[in-house]
Amino acid sequence: MSLPFGFINGALLAGAFALAIPIIIHLFHKSRFQIVKWGAMHLLEAVIRTNQRRIKIEQIILLIIRAAIPLILALCMARPVWKGVRKLMGETRTSTIILLDNSYSMAASRAGTSNISLAKDEAERILNEVPRGSDAQVVLMGEGGAPLLDEPTYDLARLTQSLKPLEATYGTATVPAGLDFAANVFGQMHESTRNLIVMTDFQRVSFEATEDAEVGQMLDRLHKLTIPPEVTFFDVGTEVKDNVAIESLDYSRLMVGIGQKIQIRANLRNFGDAPYQDLRVYFKADGKERSMAQIRLGPHEKGQVLFTHAFDTAGSHVVEIVADADPLKADNSYLASIPVRDKIPVLLVNGDPSAEPLKGETDFAEIALQPYSSTGRVALADLISTKVIRTENLDAKDINASAVVMLANVRQLDAGQLKALEDFVRNGGGLLIFPGNRVDASWANASLFKDGKGLLPLGYGALAGDLKEGAPSVGIVSQRFDHPALDLFNDPRNGTVSDAAIKMWYRMKEPASASANAPTIIARLTSGDPFLVEKQFGEGRVIQCAIPCDADWSNLPMRPFYLPMMQRLSIYLASTVFPPRNLEVSKPLVAFLPAGDAGKKASLSLPDGTAREVPVVKKGERGVIEYPKTQQPGLYTLTSPSGTATHFVVTPRDANRICKS
Amino acid sequence: MAHVSDFLTPADLQKISNLQVVARQVVEGFCSGMHRSPHKGFSVEFKQHRQYVPGDEIRHIDWRVFGRSDRFYIREYEEETNLRATILLDMSGSMNYGRNGLTKYHYATRLAASLAYLMIGQQDSVGMVTFDTKIRKYIPPRSRVSHLRVLIDELQRSEPGGETELGDVFHDLVPKLHRRGLLVILSDCFGDVPSLLKALAHFRHAHHEILIFQIWDRDELEFPFKQWTQFESLETAGVKHLLDPVLLREAYLENLEKFRAELLRGCRRHKIDLVPFVTDQPYAEALAAYISRRRTRG
Repeated sequence: MSLPFGFINGALLAGAFALAIPIIIHLFHKSRFQIVKWGAMHLLEAVIRTNQRRIKIEQIILLIIRAAIPLILALCMARPVWKGVRKLMGETRTSTIILLDNSYSMAASRAGTSNISLAKDEAERILNEVPRGSDAQVVLMGEGGAPLLDEPTYDLARLTQSLKPLEATYGTATVPAGLDFAANVFGQMHESTRNLIVMTDFQRVSFEATEDAEVGQMLDRLHKLTIPPEVTFFDVGTEVKDNVAIESLDYSRLMVGIGQKIQIRANLRNFGDAPYQDLRVYFKADGKERSMAQIRLGPHEKGQVLFTHAFDTAGSHVVEIVADADPLKADNSYLASIPVRDKIPVLLVNGDPSAEPLKGETDFAEIALQPYSSTGRVALADLISTKVIRTENLDAKDINASAVVMLANVRQLDAGQLKALEDFVRNGGGLLIFPGNRVDASWANASLFKDGKGLLPLGYGALAGDLKEGAPSVGIVSQRFDHPALDLFNDPRNGTVSDAAIKMWYRMKEPASASANAPTIIARLTSGDPFLVEKQFGEGRVIQCAIPCDADWSNLPMRPFYLPMMQRLSIYLASTVFPPRNLEVSKPLVAFLPAGDAGKKASLSLPDGTAREVPVVKKGERGVIEYPKTQQPGLYTLTSPSGTATHFVVTPRDANRICKS
Repeated sequence: MAHVSDFLTPADLQKISNLQVVARQVVEGFCSGMHRSPHKGFSVEFKQHRQYVPGDEIRHIDWRVFGRSDRFYIREYEEETNLRATILLDMSGSMNYGRNGLTKYHYATRLAASLAYLMIGQQDSVGMVTFDTKIRKYIPPRSRVSHLRVLIDELQRSEPGGETELGDVFHDLVPKLHRRGLLVILSDCFGDVPSLLKALAHFRHAHHEILIFQIWDRDELEFPFKQWTQFESLETAGVKHLLDPVLLREAYLENLEKFRAELLRGCRRHKIDLVPFVTDQPYAEALAAYISRRRTRG
């Protein structure tokens, strides 16, 4: 049986025990009395006779008052509420939370009015009608709940004003998370009558999996609050029969150079029951429509559209795929930010140079990294530009001018070179290490590996295999690669790694037990030994290979996969230098700027058109911007202090899961 | 000229155990502080001139009359009739109250001794009655200097205790005081006021002048107790009350005021001087009150 009253801060009721203090003091004083031999007893006795009853009553009243003070104080601090009051008083002040569904599906419209507009109108009407002196908050259900204002407010006009620019762009609504969030928000509110109004279109995604279990649990939690709110579900839904969504984009390249063609594949899905015979899909780059394709999509079918584009300037570009489909506009388009690099400088450190063609340690790698320049076909652009130097010429200047450094069969580095290399990787640079017959394994283990604290992901073990003619060779295990550098080979059309023949390789000392910071084995040899190992070092990454990058120990440079693998490894390592431009909501937006910009402020324009100033903080050898509040999906444009614009696209999670019952 | 006793409080004088020393300190200090000796004022009065006869003291010749008439005349003085004063000292238990060592009784004995010293020094007859529920000792008035010794011995010997009922005692006392005189009552006057007033009226009826020094302790006037207190009666064994004095103070002071007002009103009605004394007041003030009363009577 529930009590007709409750306490908002029940724990403070413990303070009521302080009522014992005056009683104890009273008894203590009474027990420690003084004795006075008194002469004027006739005066005193007359007073006692006439006042005895009054004194006793006064004493009791005084004791009650003294005991009541801590009791009342504790009760007040515990903030009691009489739950029945709301039934008795129509104009009682209330604490109201409107849990507003701002998911994609709320963009559906009927007769020109979208669900979100209806919901906003209703929310405004409710806020206008709550009794004066009430506090309220709007919680947005999309992406697990986000408060519209930083905290509940009594300024309902401000809350209503904040509702106006709200659009339905926040992915799917999660009702249990929203209810959970609302339960927490009630903890910050002050009135004894509480209302929770859930405004949603009752979209299937929000309710289907959770209707019976989680929503029920959350409603139970709400009912168990000290002051349980009255929960009202408000259906603002317009049935959507047709819905086509662009689920995702795939790119043919990790990184794009000027003039390089990039293929962008849009994955579309028809969630509705109606077929689309000729669905028009547009490709826009930097706001301009570049091409259009048509696709046939049957009910509940998936389809793909491929667009090819080449950017003629370096810098940040935005592409957008738009499907001319249903009234649920929010998921009919997909934005992406594509950074176009001028060049990716890769420094090749040749540990075994040779005057003969293709005999030098880095000769094959150089060709693989800039195939067009190497073959004289200058009409086609290479994204990567290479520079080859001998080990003894390696210095900090060359290292810092590169995005990736490749050590090929390098015997040893001096202390200065090693330190420059460590600083480079720690600040976000990429390092690719290939061994060879010149490598001093014991030096590498002592100075590069350093028991796991150095640059080398794994220490070198013994050499395995035999280079003699006819000796058996091992291959690379062909598997499904999760690593972005090798996932290209999951598609057989891009070549296979399984036709490699490796005669000699370095075994690596794998740690006995896996730990959180343990290096990742990207690929293994058929002998079971690691082939490619990756390690995070500071903000940069290091990839270590078990064999050289030339043809001395294997036939790798002769295989078709060698070129894309080398390119992918380099571009992947270079990409760590550039933080991601396409983010999920709530992931921090990070940008690197020149160190000279540190201490200045950059301007960030948000999807809703507003702009924020973001400070540039010095980290290592560069300025860094971090903006964590990316709850709002859409295009963010960062303008650095020097005026360079960089685009970031924040995408809702699960944006494809839009469907309607 | 100031005397050392002007600066002595009753608490200081309490340290002197010899009452006679105390009395002398008090009285001489008091007298020397006055501008005019009380001796000159009322103890000797001019009566007539008579013819000088050989054998008369030359210093008694009135030289101004000789200058006018060229004859020797002697100034004759009429010796004033002795004042008969009786000190009535209350020895009941309630007089034994005093938190800081000096009880009301001690104060009263010192006051009595001082008064006796002063009176005998002025050739007045002083007697003394000590009493509680009944008369304990009655010393008839005498004016001899040696009588002071008798009075002081009695004061030093006596100890207070027991209950008191002033009315009954005073009624019993009236027949013992044959000649009218001044009655100096040293008491806290606790008890039934109408009964006391009736007894005092009895005295007045016998033509006695009455001067009451009502002795109070500061505690009895201010009731300053703060913590829980058990009040035990000084007069009746076994009577005690445990109470929070803070709650009672107001009513007590009200009752006290009522008691004092009733007593004062009755005293005025019977032309009795009621002089309240607190045990921290100097004795000199008591003596001044006596002198004032003595002058009125003279």
